[in-house]
Amino acid sequence: MKQRINGVELHHALTAGYSNLKKNMASVNDLNVFPVPDGDTGTNMVHTFGGGLESVDGNILHAGDYMKQLSYAILLSARGNSGVIFSQFFHGLARSFDGKESIAFDDWTDGFRCATEDAYRSILSPTEGTILTVIRETAEFLPNQQYDTFQEGMQAILEQMKASLAKTPDLLAVLKEAGVVDSGGAGLVHFFSGVHAFFCGVSIDEAEGLEQTGSTKAHVHHFGPDSDMEYGYCTEFILQLMHAKTDIAAFSRQEFIAPLQEMGDSIVVVVNDTIVKVHIHTFTPEKVLAYARQFGEFVTLKIENMSVQHSETREAVTKEKVKYAIVAVASGKGIVDYFYGIGATVVIDGGQTNNPSVEDFMDAFSRYDAEHIIVLPNNSNIIFTANQAAEMYDETDVRVIPTKSIVEGYSALSMMNLWCDTVEELIDDMSSGLSTVTTAYVTTATRNTTMNGVEVVQGNYIGLVDKEIVGCDTDRVQLAGQVIQKVMQEQEKEVIIAFYGANVSVGEAEAFCEQLREKYPLADVGFIEGKQEIYDYIISLE
Amino acid sequence: MRDFVIFGDSVCDMTTEMRKEYAIEYVAMNFSIDDVETVASLDWSIDEAKNHYNQMRAGKRVFTTQVPKTVYYDRFKEVLDQGKDVLYIACSSALSASINTARMVAEELLQAYPEASVCCVDSLISSFGQAYLLMQASIKRSQGWSVKETASFIEENRLKVNQCGTVESMEYLRRAGRVKASKAFFGNLFGVKPIIISDTKGQNYAYKKVKGTSNARVAIAEHIVEAADGVYDQLLISHADCEEDAKLLRDEILKRAPFKDVVFGYIGPIVGASVGPGTVIAFCFGKQVTIEGNE
Repeated sequence: MKQRINGVELHHALTAGYSNLKKNMASVNDLNVFPVPDGDTGTNMVHTFGGGLESVDGNILHAGDYMKQLSYAILLSARGNSGVIFSQFFHGLARSFDGKESIAFDDWTDGFRCATEDAYRSILSPTEGTILTVIRETAEFLPNQQYDTFQEGMQAILEQMKASLAKTPDLLAVLKEAGVVDSGGAGLVHFFSGVHAFFCGVSIDEAEGLEQTGSTKAHVHHFGPDSDMEYGYCTEFILQLMHAKTDIAAFSRQEFIAPLQEMGDSIVVVVNDTIVKVHIHTFTPEKVLAYARQFGEFVTLKIENMSVQHSETREAVTKEKVKYAIVAVASGKGIVDYFYGIGATVVIDGGQTNNPSVEDFMDAFSRYDAEHIIVLPNNSNIIFTANQAAEMYDETDVRVIPTKSIVEGYSALSMMNLWCDTVEELIDDMSSGLSTVTTAYVTTATRNTTMNGVEVVQGNYIGLVDKEIVGCDTDRVQLAGQVIQKVMQEQEKEVIIAFYGANVSVGEAEAFCEQLREKYPLADVGFIEGKQEIYDYIISLE
Repeated sequence: MRDFVIFGDSVCDMTTEMRKEYAIEYVAMNFSIDDVETVASLDWSIDEAKNHYNQMRAGKRVFTTQVPKTVYYDRFKEVLDQGKDVLYIACSSALSASINTARMVAEELLQAYPEASVCCVDSLISSFGQAYLLMQASIKRSQGWSVKETASFIEENRLKVNQCGTVESMEYLRRAGRVKASKAFFGNLFGVKPIIISDTKGQNYAYKKVKGTSNARVAIAEHIVEAADGVYDQLLISHADCEEDAKLLRDEILKRAPFKDVVFGYIGPIVGASVGPGTVIAFCFGKQVTIEGNE
C-alpha cells in the first residue's frame, strides 16, 4: 500500500523543509565564491519561501490546490537568482500536482521533471554546477526508483541531492577555486533535509533571530498634521480562540470572514487549530479588533499606517500617467537620489546584499500608470527577479534591460531620451553604451584567498574589474588608481566617474579625481557621492 | 530700383572682415557682467573673446538684452534718409524677441517713408547660420535682386540652413532657457554630450545624446554631411573659445565630405552667454530641417 499525503500534510512537510533551511541560512550565506559581501543566497531563499508560506492557507486539503496557491505566493516573494530558481522549482511541482487531491511519492518523479523544466526555463543561460544541476540530476534519478513511503523516498532524494551538490565544484571552476560547493544547491539540500526529517517524525528547531523581510520602522515625519489618510491601516494579528468566548469546535472560518469584508480588504484569514491568523487593510482597525476579541485574545498584534509607508516611497500617491516609467534598483542614498535626479521614475532600494523580491518590483511597477516600464536591475543577482516580475505583471508592457551594475544603470539612464516615439528606440538609446562600459570596484576583502593570481588578505582592499579581482592593497586610493590604469591600458576610455561610498570623505574623493584629471587629461572625470555601503569606490569607465 | 542695406545683429557672429566683404551692417544687443553693461560688438579681438569666456569659466554670469528700440529706429532711419531700403535678417525669434521690436519700428518708419521698404526676416537660426543667410542676401543684392525678392528668398531658404553642435555644459542653455529638452536631459550627467540642432521653430533642440567628446564629434559630422545632401560648398564652424575642438570637428567633417570653403570663427558674446565656453557648432546649407523639438 503506497503512502499518500494531502495538502495539509504537504504543507507541514514543506514547512519543516523551510524551518531547516532557515536554521542553516547563515551557513548557506557563507558559501560565497567571492571574498566580497555577495548576494546572500541563504537569505534570499529563506525570504522567497518564507514569503510564500506566510500568505498561504495551510488548511487546504486538496494537495494540487495547495501547491498552486503556495507556488504563486512564492513566485511573488522570489528574490535573488537562487530565489527565482527556487520559486520556479515550486512552480513546476505545482504544475505537476495540478488536479491531484493527494500525492504519493511516485508523483514526485513527474514533479521533479516539471520543476527541472521550469527552473531551466527561467534562466537565460543555465549554468551547470549550480542548484539547477542538483534539481536536474534528482529528476533524472527518480524514474528508476520505487518507494512506498515518503520516508524512504525522501531519504533517496536527499542522498542523490547531496551527491550532486558535492560534484558542483567539478562543474564550475569558480567554486573549485573558492573551495566551496554551490550555495543554492546547498540551500535545496537543507530544505529537503527538513522535509525528510518531517517524514521521519523528527522536529526541527528553527534558528532564532531571523531578520524581518521589511522594515517596520515608521518615519513619522513623513506623515504630518495635514497629510491625507488615504490608505488605512495594515492590521495583522494572531488570535487565540478562547473557550470562554466562543464554541471553538463550531468556529467557522467562512462565518468569521464575512463581517470582516465590511471592514476592509486584502483579507487573509488562516485558521490553524485554535489559532487564527488575520491580515486586513482597514480604515477602522478598532472595529476589527473589537470584532475579533469576541472570539478570543490576541497573541500578537501589529497595526501600521499605510499612508506613512506610502509617503516614505517619495512617489506621488495618485497614479500619474506617463509614457515611460523607468524602474531602477540602487542602494546608497546618494546613488538613489542621483538616479532620481537624472530621470529614474522609481528607484527600488536594493542591491548586493539586499535583493528585492518579485513583489517589490510589482509594487514599483504599479506606482505609475505607464504605457511602458523599463527595468534596470543593476545587479546580476537581480536580473532574473526583474524578468520574473516583468513576466508576471499584466497591467502594462514591462521590459528589462539586463544591467549588471550600478555603473551600467548609470550608463543606461544617462543615455535615456524620454521623448522617444517608440519604446524600442528608447531601449536602443539606453543600451547604446552598455557594450563599452566597464565597472571597477574597490571594497574590503572578507577572507584570505588567492584568486586570479592575486593574493587577497582579509581586511585589505581589493580591486575588481567587472567580476575579476585584479589587485589587493592597504591603500584604497592607490588601488583604485591601479585598477583604472589597468583598464585604460587595455582600452582608452573617455569618461571616468567615481561613485564614492559612505566610508569615503569628500576630500579623499576630490583629491582622487584631481589625480585622475592630471593623469588622463583627455578623459571627462566626475565623481558622485554615492553613500553606498560595501564598495568604497564604484567606478564607471566608458 | 532702390538700393538696400542689409542688417544682421550681434547674434550673427560675423567678423569685421566678413561684414566688410559682404557689406553687412548690424544692430547691437547689449550684455552685462557684474551689472556693467557693454555693447555686444562684433569687432572684438581674440584677446577680448578669450577674456570674456574665461570670466564665464570663472563663474561670472552674463546677462543679455535685446536690441534697444532706439538703435533700430536710428539705424533704419539713417538708411531711409539716404533713399535706401532696409533688409533686416534677425536672429531666431525663438532665441531673442528683438525682431518684434524691429517690426514695430518698421511700421512706424513706413508711415513717415511710405515709398520705402523695411523688411524684417526671422532667420530662425543664429551665429554662423544667420551669417550664412546674410551672405546669401548680399550675393542676391549684388546680382540686382530687390529688397523684397531677397527677403522672400531668405524666408524660403532659411530652414535649409542646418545647425549641429555640442556644448561643454548644458547648464548655460538651461539657465538661459535657450534649449528645448526635458529635465532629465539636463541632469548632472558626466561625459554625456548633447547633440543640439536648430529645429523648425528656430529653437535649439538637444535631439540626442552621445557618450564622450569623440563620439559627439562623429555624431555632428555625420549629421552635417547627411544634411548637406551631396552639395559641399560651404561649411561654417563657430566656437566659444575652443579652437582645437573646432578644428578636430572640421577634420572629422572633411574626412567625410569635401567642403570647398570652411569659415571659422568665434561665437560672440550674445550667443556665448547662452551656450557657454566650450561650445562648437557647425552649419551648412542643404536639406530642409524637419525636426520639430518637443518636450
